[in-house]
Order: sequence, then structure tokens, then C-alpha cells
Amino acid sequence: MGLLSLACSRAGCKIWGGQGGQIDLCPSNCVIFQLPLMKLYEFEGNDLLRRDGIPVPDYALAATPQEAREKAEELGLPVVVKAQVLTGGRWLAGGVQTVYSPEEVEEASQRILGLSIRGWPVRQVMVTPRVESVREFYLAVTVDEYHGTPVAILSAAGGVLVNRLALERPEAVASRYVSIIKGLLPSEARRMCRGAGLRGADVSRVANMLSALYQVFHKYDALITEVNPLVRTTKGDYLALDAKVEIDDDSLYRHPELKLDLDSRIPNPLERKGREIGVSYVELDGDIAIVASGAGLGMASMDIISRRMRPANFLETGGAITAELLYNVMDLVLQKKGVRAVFINVYGGINPIHEGAKGVVKYLKEHQVNIPVVAKALGNHQEETWEIFRNNGVHVVDDVSTEKGVEQLARLLRGRP
Amino acid sequence: MSILLNRDTKVLVQGITGRIGRVQTKWMLDYGTNIVAGVTPGKGGEEVEGIPVYNTVAEAVAEQGAEASVFFIPAKAFKEAARQSIDAGIHLIVVITEHIPVHDVMEIREYASEREVRLIGPTTPGIITVGEAKMGIMPANMFAPGRIGLISRSGTLSYEISINLVTAGFGQSTVVGMGADSVVFTSIPELLRLFEKDPNTDLVVIIGEVGGVQEENAAQFIDRWMTKPVVTYIAGHNAPEGKRMGHAGAIIQGEHGGMGTPQSKMAALREVGVDVAMYPSEVVELVKQHLTSS
Repeated sequence: MGLLSLACSRAGCKIWGGQGGQIDLCPSNCVIFQLPLMKLYEFEGNDLLRRDGIPVPDYALAATPQEAREKAEELGLPVVVKAQVLTGGRWLAGGVQTVYSPEEVEEASQRILGLSIRGWPVRQVMVTPRVESVREFYLAVTVDEYHGTPVAILSAAGGVLVNRLALERPEAVASRYVSIIKGLLPSEARRMCRGAGLRGADVSRVANMLSALYQVFHKYDALITEVNPLVRTTKGDYLALDAKVEIDDDSLYRHPELKLDLDSRIPNPLERKGREIGVSYVELDGDIAIVASGAGLGMASMDIISRRMRPANFLETGGAITAELLYNVMDLVLQKKGVRAVFINVYGGINPIHEGAKGVVKYLKEHQVNIPVVAKALGNHQEETWEIFRNNGVHVVDDVSTEKGVEQLARLLRGRP
Repeated sequence: MSILLNRDTKVLVQGITGRIGRVQTKWMLDYGTNIVAGVTPGKGGEEVEGIPVYNTVAEAVAEQGAEASVFFIPAKAFKEAARQSIDAGIHLIVVITEHIPVHDVMEIREYASEREVRLIGPTTPGIITVGEAKMGIMPANMFAPGRIGLISRSGTLSYEISINLVTAGFGQSTVVGMGADSVVFTSIPELLRLFEKDPNTDLVVIIGEVGGVQEENAAQFIDRWMTKPVVTYIAGHNAPEGKRMGHAGAIIQGEHGGMGTPQSKMAALREVGVDVAMYPSEVVELVKQHLTSS
């Protein structure tokens, strides 16, 4: 389940002033969590770990109950059937089950393949032999965003919520900032193991795993690599039973070896289309479309529109505005059913907004759009932009504040259905 | 001189021969920025807007005394360019570039921290010391000289609030876009410290947004160290959890704990006496309670 907590970084918190890079998990409520986007499926994470020297159990994937049964019989029962989805919370949603007979494998797979976990339909299950463990550990390497540094976290108890453990048994959790230039030194990893209460063979073996996990984190530009749990089996082997890996989107250009198919990882079709045309689009449940040239401006527009109306989406164009981009943007926001108006809010800094205006009016003309379009456009080329809009039926906001623009929009909508 | 940048600062433009680098160099010069050199590897000997171009930062520093640099370079070239600039003795680097891998940002952050270099960004519109100089892409007609220091995680929102302040008779000393990524080089508390010391700044406006803990940390700093009044607006009151709102750093970490929500940020700031605006134009009303307009 892998709920990962990070060290606290509030000024005034004792962790912030920690000694020699040593940090603790915060005992108060100022714990930071991460949820980046480019997650890997558990099986993909497993493959990465295995490639870099962290042993993982054998597994097979199945898309149907019959296939799951066959794979389970090949692997040998009992097995664990696990939903493969790009979100946490699989255990709580019933997406993981240990089964003992071929019939049970089919039943469990049938049930799990019918689940939707936090909006993600389960299309595949992993079938993996059940492992008898005598001891569990939690290992993670992630990014402390505020301090801008990697942090390694180790706990002597796996399979639990680490942040809860940090509150109840702080002595069982060790964490440490890692120099990204030097990497995690073996001596540091061993010190963390001892700090978390590990003794005997566990110290060097778990320290090696933690070092390897840091390697994976660094090599693949990960935002999180987490193993929860790492187990020591009855045979004395160490195995990573659940891998959670998330890769930084902006580094994907240098990781062709990961062969990540981005589109299948975005379930919402409009959000996928946004990515295709090069904008950030988030679908919301209202009916006023928003087009903004910056993320902050887009969020502020949402805040203001939400006072009396409901935004249909958040959309940020980014810096590279062209006529074609804004044409595509209009096409995107108007694909959502029931949109009553479009509110355009753009600044010309690096953006040639007059070019964008040409794309907007081209779309409106070609598609004979008859809902109100209100545009607030300021900055470089503003006069030119206003003229293009005004000559083509777009309502130009005659004020520097977004609030006034939204009022204008509300007036236009008054009396309309 | 306000903070970080003034009309005498000798500015270098890295990536000066690119499409954006050229246009922005002209606009920065028009504003009065003292640009002394440009760098693009392989383009040494050329000129852009009358500014000499060099192959390396070391040459630009040796020949023209460049001391601050603004980056209009591709994300892939960032790490190498930053190391080169730091090694050549540049002490202020403004990184306009977007989509730099987080690991590269962390590496340069650590490298710079050992060498007394300040970086701003990445994914920032830059810095403008109003009426003197700008290193970045912000449209100059959004600002007027005055005594408000402004720190913003968003470029466009810094323009929106600045032009609203200007319309109401309040100008700015320095406006700093601190960058929209999840990991940035310079935090809000570090910028607050500079504004607190600046004799030309009477009040600071912080424009925050969902995600991260910058604003929460700012609240702690304000409580301990700030004597000047602070006004803030946090964007994204209704942002859904777990969705990245355009900026890499603008994401509410759903599922767990509620950190990064605008509500947690506003509560932390209110608790230490900061005036929190609910909407951008309300910033102007709150500023009026502390300053008289010119």
C-alpha cells in the first residue's frame, strides 16, 4: 500500500535544524506527502528493481480469470492476485487477495478485474507466489521538495503506514538527506539500518538494498522509489514484495529504455487530448470554460468564477502560443458537453497573444460558435489582440482585473439558459 | 537598489542567439538593463542587438565583467550551462527555462550551495527591479516604480496583481518570480529576508498557489523575522486533489494529510498576522490598509 511520508521541513520544527543531515519524521502534523504523476505499474517497478540487483518474486500478468488460473498453476499455489493500477489504496479497495486453489484464483481475478480503484478500471492482475516472511522492512528514496534534496527513509516495520509508525514508534524509523552529488554512501546506509534498530545480518543486507534502491532512484530520474515491504523469508532471502516507482515526466527524454506509453496513463480523454496538443487541461464539473496563458492566472480565474458560477475546466496554454494552438484549445474546451461560455485570460509576455487571438476567431467562425466568448488580454501586443477579438464578436474585457472580466461574463449570461 | 538586481548589474544572456533569447534581449535592453554580453557555444564573435556573443561564460566574464546571467537555454543544456556559469564566478542566475528534470535542479542546487551563488527559478518569468532593469520575460507595462516587494510562484498572476496595484496608485520595488516547479532554487523565506533588509521596500506581497510547503514555511519565517507588513493571495481554492494545475509544483497531495491545500496555507499565514486576500483584486484593498497610494 505504500503510504509514504516525508520528513517535515517547517522552520521551527526540530527536523529543519537537524544535525549533520540526519533527519527524523516529524512527530507533529507537519508531514509532507508526494503524489507525482508518472507512476509505474507495480510490475514495471519490479522489473526495474530486479535489473538493478534488488530481488523480487516471480510474477505473471493476466487479463482474464482463465489466464490468471493458468499462470497461477505454472507458478505454484498459493499465490497473491494483485490489481495493476496507477494508484495507491489497492488493499483497502479489495484489489489484493491471497488464494489457495485454482478455482479461488479465477474467482478472485474475476472480482478484481471488475473493480475500479479510485477511478482506474483494473485491466490486468499480477499473479505472484505467496512468500512466507519472518520480518518486514520499509525502504524509500524520494525528493524533499522544499529542501530540494533526495531523502532516504528506512523503517524496521514494513507493510504499515510509515507516517503512523513515525508517530507511534519514532525509534523504528530512520531518514536522512542524501547528497545527490556524492550519492548514498554504504556507511550512511548501514548507519540508517542501525538507527532503525536493525541488528545482525539484517544490517548489511538491508543496507545493500537501500543503496541499490538509491541507485534506481538516481539512474531513472525517479521522484519516488519505494519498497513496502521488503521481507526476509523463512529461507533467509530478502525480497521486495511491492515496488512503487514514479518517474519525473521532464526526464523521460533521456529514458527511452523505460518505453513508457504516456497516453494510456491518462484516463480522462479530454486531459489526454490536452497533452497531445501541448496544454495542461484538467476537467471540472461546471459549464464555464477557462483558457489561461499561465497556471496561476488559470487558478485565479477558477477561484473568481467559482464565486457565482462553475468552471468547466482548468486550461493553461504554456508559453508557446500560436494561432494553431489556440484553435486546438478552443476545439478542446468546447468538446465538453454543456459549456455555456468561454473565458479567455491571457498575458503577452513571452506569448504572442495576437497570434493566439487569430486562432480563436478562426475557430469561432468556422464552427459558428454562438455562446459568449469573453477575453481579457494584456501585455505585449494588447491593442492588436483587442482589435482582432472585437472585429470577430469576442467580448473584450475593458479592465485590468479578472474580477471585472468575470462580472462582464456573468452579465452576458444573465437571461440565457 | 531594491533586491538582487539594479541598473548597474552587468548582465549576461545565455542562449542569446535563440529565437526567444534575441527578442527578450531587445526588450530587456529597451527597459534599461545593463546587458554586457551573450553566450551561445559555437556562436562566439557574433552580435545580437549590438551585444557581443561569446562561446563560453568564462570569456564573457573576463572580457565584459558579467556578474549575473539569465538563461534562455534548452532544458537539456541546463546542467552544463549552470556549472559553467557558477565556475566562472557568476553570482546570480535567473533560469527562465521550463521542464528541467528535477534531478538536475537538485544537483545544481547542491553545487551552488557550496559556492555562494544565488539561482532563481526554474520556470520563472524572472526578476524586475522596476524602473531600473529586468532579467526575464515579464511585460514591462505591468509595473511602475514604488515600494512594494512582490514574490510570486506564478508569472501571469504576478502581472495581474502588479497591474491592479499600479492602477490603484501602488508601484513595486522588485518583483521576483520564484519559479513554478516542485523544486526551486530560492525559497519564499530567503526572498522575504532580502525584502525585509531592503530600504526601498515597505510591504511585501506573496502570491502563492496550491502544492508544496513554501507558504507554510513563509508563515514561520514571517512570525519570527518580518517587521514589514505582508499581504498574500493563494491561487487555486477549488483545485481538485491529485491533479497538476499547469505548474509542476501546483498539486494538492490528495489522499494524505491535506498539506499543500490552499486552506492550509491561508490558515498558516493568517495565524501569523498576514492579510490574506480571497481574490486577486482584494490584494489592493489590503495593501491600502498599510500604505497610502502615490
